[in-house]
Amino acid sequence: MSLLEVNNLKITYQTAEEDVHAVNDVSFSIGEQDNYGLVGESGCGKSTIAKTILGLLDDNGEVEAGSVRFKDRDLVDLSEKEWQDVRWEEIAYIPQSAMDSLDPVMTVGSQIRQAIRKHRDDSKSKADERVAEVFEIVGLDPARTSDYPHEFSGGMRQRVTIAMALALDPDLIIADEPTTGLDVIVQDKIINKLLEIQDEVDSSMLLITHDVGVVAETCDEVSVLYGGKVMEQGATYDVFKHPTNPYTMGLQNSFPEVDEFDKQAISIPGSLPELTEEPTGCVFRNRCPFSTEECADGHPPLIANGGQMSACYHHDEAEDMREAATDAETWGIDVAEDRETSGDTGDVILETTDLEKWFKQTQSIMDSFRGAEPDYVKAVNGVDLTVREGEILGVAGESGCGKSTLGEVIAALQPRTGGDIQIDGTSVDDLLAESTKKFRSQVQFIFQDPFDSLNPRQRVKDAVAEPLKIQGHDKETIDRRVRETISDVGLNPPEKYLDRRPAQLSGGERQRVAIAQALVLEPKLLICDEPASMLDVSLKANILNILREMADKRDIGIVYISHDLASLTQIANRLAVMYLGEVIEIGKTREVVRNSKHPYAASLLAASPKTDPSIDRQRVLLPGEPPNPVNLPEGCNFAPRCPKASEECRKADPDRSAFKDGNHEAACYLPVEDVEDELLSSYARQERPEIQSGEEETIEQLGEEA
Amino acid sequence: MSFRRFLIKRTAIAALLTLIAVSIIFATLRMLPADPFSGLVASGALTPEQVAEVRAMYGLDEPIYVQYVKYIQNLFTFNFGVSLTQQRPVSEIITPALLNTLVLLLPALVVTAIISSLAGMYAGWNRGSWFEQSSIVATTVFRSVPNFVTGIFLLIIFSYGLGWLPAFGMRSPLANPSGYLDTYLSWNFLKHYTLPFTVTVLYYSGDFLMLARNSVVERMGSEFLMLHRAKGLSEMEQLGRAGRNSLLPLVTYFALRTGMLFQGVVTLEVVFAWPGIGRALVQAILNQDYPTVQAAVFIMAVAVIVMNLVADVAYAKLDPTVDAGDV
Ligand SMILES: Nc1ncnc2c1ncn2[C@@H]1O[C@H](COP(=O)(O)OP(=O)(O)O)[C@@H](O)[C@H]1O
Ligand code: SF4
Ligand code: SF4
Ligand SMILES: [Mg+2]
Repeated sequence: MSLLEVNNLKITYQTAEEDVHAVNDVSFSIGEQDNYGLVGESGCGKSTIAKTILGLLDDNGEVEAGSVRFKDRDLVDLSEKEWQDVRWEEIAYIPQSAMDSLDPVMTVGSQIRQAIRKHRDDSKSKADERVAEVFEIVGLDPARTSDYPHEFSGGMRQRVTIAMALALDPDLIIADEPTTGLDVIVQDKIINKLLEIQDEVDSSMLLITHDVGVVAETCDEVSVLYGGKVMEQGATYDVFKHPTNPYTMGLQNSFPEVDEFDKQAISIPGSLPELTEEPTGCVFRNRCPFSTEECADGHPPLIANGGQMSACYHHDEAEDMREAATDAETWGIDVAEDRETSGDTGDVILETTDLEKWFKQTQSIMDSFRGAEPDYVKAVNGVDLTVREGEILGVAGESGCGKSTLGEVIAALQPRTGGDIQIDGTSVDDLLAESTKKFRSQVQFIFQDPFDSLNPRQRVKDAVAEPLKIQGHDKETIDRRVRETISDVGLNPPEKYLDRRPAQLSGGERQRVAIAQALVLEPKLLICDEPASMLDVSLKANILNILREMADKRDIGIVYISHDLASLTQIANRLAVMYLGEVIEIGKTREVVRNSKHPYAASLLAASPKTDPSIDRQRVLLPGEPPNPVNLPEGCNFAPRCPKASEECRKADPDRSAFKDGNHEAACYLPVEDVEDELLSSYARQERPEIQSGEEETIEQLGEEA
Repeated sequence: MSFRRFLIKRTAIAALLTLIAVSIIFATLRMLPADPFSGLVASGALTPEQVAEVRAMYGLDEPIYVQYVKYIQNLFTFNFGVSLTQQRPVSEIITPALLNTLVLLLPALVVTAIISSLAGMYAGWNRGSWFEQSSIVATTVFRSVPNFVTGIFLLIIFSYGLGWLPAFGMRSPLANPSGYLDTYLSWNFLKHYTLPFTVTVLYYSGDFLMLARNSVVERMGSEFLMLHRAKGLSEMEQLGRAGRNSLLPLVTYFALRTGMLFQGVVTLEVVFAWPGIGRALVQAILNQDYPTVQAAVFIMAVAVIVMNLVADVAYAKLDPTVDAGDV
C-alpha cells in the first residue's frame, strides 16, 4: 500500500490576464521508504505539485480536480489548522535555496528546535538533544547549533535544512531541487548524505529536480514531467536506460557526460508551450522532432510500454526514436563538421603573466594605526594563460575559486594588482591609455544573467546597435552589421526580432541578444562568464554552438568561464582548472579530462552525476571545504584536503609545471596515475566520514570574501 | 573586531561630533553683531564702565580662545553658567523645562513606535485589506500636516468646542504642586497632557506604520517564511517571524527619531503653551541670553548624537550578519 497517492491532479493559477494550467492530470504514487523523483525543466509544474502536497500553494493557485491521498486521507481539503499538524510531523520539506530559506535572525539550532517544539511537548533541553542528534546525522558539528545561518557555507546550510527535515522523523520528505546551485563536489556530498540517511531512517522521499543525473543516481522510481503532464513514468532504471518518450530522450541527451567528446550535446528547439489552456494535442508536439498529424489529437494517454509508462502516440517506434534522438541533427542543430579544432588556432591574442588580483581585507582602525600588514584575499594569484585566435579556453572551478575575478580583470572591468596582460602583443595599460573605446571594441564580456544585462525598454536593434553608436559608425554600417550579427547568433530571420523588447524574448533568445551585443564590434577576445548557466539545459547547447561557430568563423579568442564541466568539455579546446586563485591544471581538454593529473581536477571531473542509471559511480567525498583564501596553507594549497598529500607537499607550493607533458601541466608533485586506485578508493573508505575540523575558519573567511 | 572596540570607536566619534557641534554654536553666537549689553548702553541704562564690569563678570572681555576653552570645559562638565537676563543658574531654567519636554515626548514616541509598528506589520501581512488602505491614508495625513495644525485643530474641537480638555499650559494656573511626583501624577496634569501627547503620537505614527508595513511586505514572499509555514507555524507565529525580521529598520529608526526628538518641539510647545525646552529656547533667543541658548542647543545636539550611537549599537546587536567591525 502506498504512502502517498496523487490522482489526476489538476492545478491552475489565476493571473491578471489568463489562467495558467500548471498541472494537468498528473498521477503517481510513492511507496513506504521509497525514493521518488519528479524531473523536468523549469515551468513543468514540479514545484507546484510539491507545494500542493504540503498545502503551500500560492494564493492564486487552485486544485481544480484530483486528490492527494496521504496515508488514506485526502490532503486537498484540509483546513489551515489541520495542515499545521500534518506539516513537518508527517511531511517535511527541504527547500531549494538553502541560502534564503533559513531565518537570518535566528540561530540554526533554534530554528530546528522551533520545529520540534511546535509539534511535541518537549522541554527545551530535550529538543536541544534532538537538534544535536540530527546535526550529527547530517555531518555538522553539534557545537555550532547556536550559530546564525550566514556563518555557514551554502553546502552546510543545505545540511542544516536536511537536519531540520529529519528532526521529527517524518514519513515523507519533499526535497525541491536540494542541490541546484551547489558546486558538483558539494552536491555529491549532499546526495551521498541524503542516500545514507535514507538507509537509516524509514522516511520516503520525493525528490524534485531538473537534473537527470541526480535522479538517475538517487531515485527508485521517477515521473518525467513536461508542460504539466507526465510524459514518462516508471522505474528509474527503465526510464533512463531505455527511454520510450521523445521528451525523456531529449532531456537526457541534453546532459552530456563530461568525457563524451564524440557526442554532440543536443538541445530541444523552441520554447515551452503556453499553458493558458488545457492541452489539445500532445503538449510536446511543437518541439518534438517525431510529431505527426496524429499528435494533435489530444494529449496521448499514458500507457504501459515495456517496464514503464509513456505518453506518446508513437511509443511502438521507441527504439528507432531513441537511436535518432542521440543525433543532434534530429533536433535541428547544425553540427559543425570539424569540432576538433586542435591544430589550426592562430596567433596568440591574449597572454597573462603572473596575473594577480588581491583584495585587501577590511582592517580595524587600531591595526591600520599600528601599520600592521593587512590580510589579502588572493582571488587571482599568479595566473599565466594564453589564448589564441579561434581558440576557446575553458576555465573551470568551484564557486569562490577566483574564475569570475580572473575574467573581469582580463576585461579590465577591475584593476589588477600585479602581473601583466597583453592583448595581441600590446599591454592592456597601453591599449587603455591610447583609447578605452578601442580597447572595448577588441575585448568584450558576456555576463551570466541575460535578464540583467539587457535594458528592458530597449528594442533588440537598439540594444545591439548601441556599441556601434558609441564607436561612432554611420547609420548604414550600423544597420547592416546589426542584421548580420543578429542572424549570426541564430535569431532568424532578423526582421522578426529587431523590434522586440527583452520581455518578448525567451531566456535563450535574450542571451543570444547579449551575445550579439558583444559580437557586433567584431572583438578579438570574448570573455564569457557562465553565459549558459541561467538557461534551461535543453537550451544550453544552442548557446555553446554559437560560441563555437564564432570562434571558428571569426577567429575570435574566447575565454569561457563556467562551473559546468559538461559544457566546458563540449566547447573548449583547452581547459584550465582553478583552485584558490591558481590554475592548478591546464592542457588540451581531452588530456585534462581523460588523464587528469592534479588530484583536485580529477576529483572535480569525477563528481558529476551520470545520467546512465547502469553506471555505478563512486561519489567524490572530498573532505573539508575550500580553505581560507586569506591565510593560504603552507606548501600546496590543496594539501589539507588532498588524499595523496605527503610531507613534501606541505613544504613548498608546487609550480604549475611540476608535472609537464607537452602543453599539459599540473601543479602537483605526485600526479595522479590512476584515478580509481589513488582517489576514488580513498573516497570509498571515507563513506562514513564526517565532522571535518577546520570547517569553521573556512566559513568565516568565505563570508568575508563576499 | 570585538564589540568593545567597536563601542569605543563609535563613542569617540560621537564625542568628536559633539565637540564640533558645540564649537559651531559658539562661533555662531559670537558672530552676532551685538551682545545683550550693547543694547543696554544704547538705551542709556548703563554707563560704558558698568557694562565693562558686567562683561568682565561674565568673562566676555577675555580673548576669544580663552572664552572658547572655558566654554567647552563648562559645557562638558554640564556647568552652563548663569543666565544673562534672569540672574539665576541656567541649569535651573533648563532642567525643569527639559524634564517637561521629555515627559511629553518620550512616552508619546514609545507609544507610537509600538502601536504603529504593530499596526503596520498587521497591515503589511494583510495586503490590500481595508485595514491596510485606511491606516496608510490616515497616518499619511497626520504626517504631512504640521503638528501645530493638528494641534490647533484638536484644540478647536476638544477645548474650545466641546470644552472637555484645557487648552493651555501644563496645569491649571491655581495648582501649585510640590515635587515631581505631585507635578506629573495628577489628574489635572493628565488633562493638560492628553492633547499634546495625542498630537505627537499621531504625527509620528505614519513613519513607523509605513516602515513596518514595507518591511513585512518585503519579507512576505521570502523563502524562509515559506519554510516556517511548512514547519507548521500558525499564521500569527509566521507574522511574528516576519516582524522580528523587520525589527532592525524599526529600532534603528526609533533611535534616530528619538535623537531628532526636539525637531518640531518649538511649535508644539508654543501652540499648547507647554513649559518645555522649546519654549525656553525661544525665550532665550528673544532675550539674547547666550548661556541659556548654548545650553539648550547643546542638549539637543547631544541628544541627536547619543541616539545615533544607540542606533548603531542596536543595529550591530540585532543583526547577526552585521560584523561589528564593518559598521
Ligand atoms: N503563483 C503563480 N501564479 C501564476 N503562475 C504560476 C505561479 N506559480 C507558478 N506558475 C506557473 O506554473 C507553471 C509551473 O510552475 P512550477 O510548478 O514552479 O514549475 P517547476 O517547479 O517545474 O519549475 C509555470 O508555467 C509557472 O510560470
Ligand atoms: S505524441 Fe507525437 S508529439 Fe508527442 S511525444 Fe509522441 S511523437 Fe512527439
Ligand atoms: S602536490 Fe601533493 S598535496 Fe598538492 S595536489 Fe599534489 S599530491 Fe596533493
Ligand atoms: Mg521549481
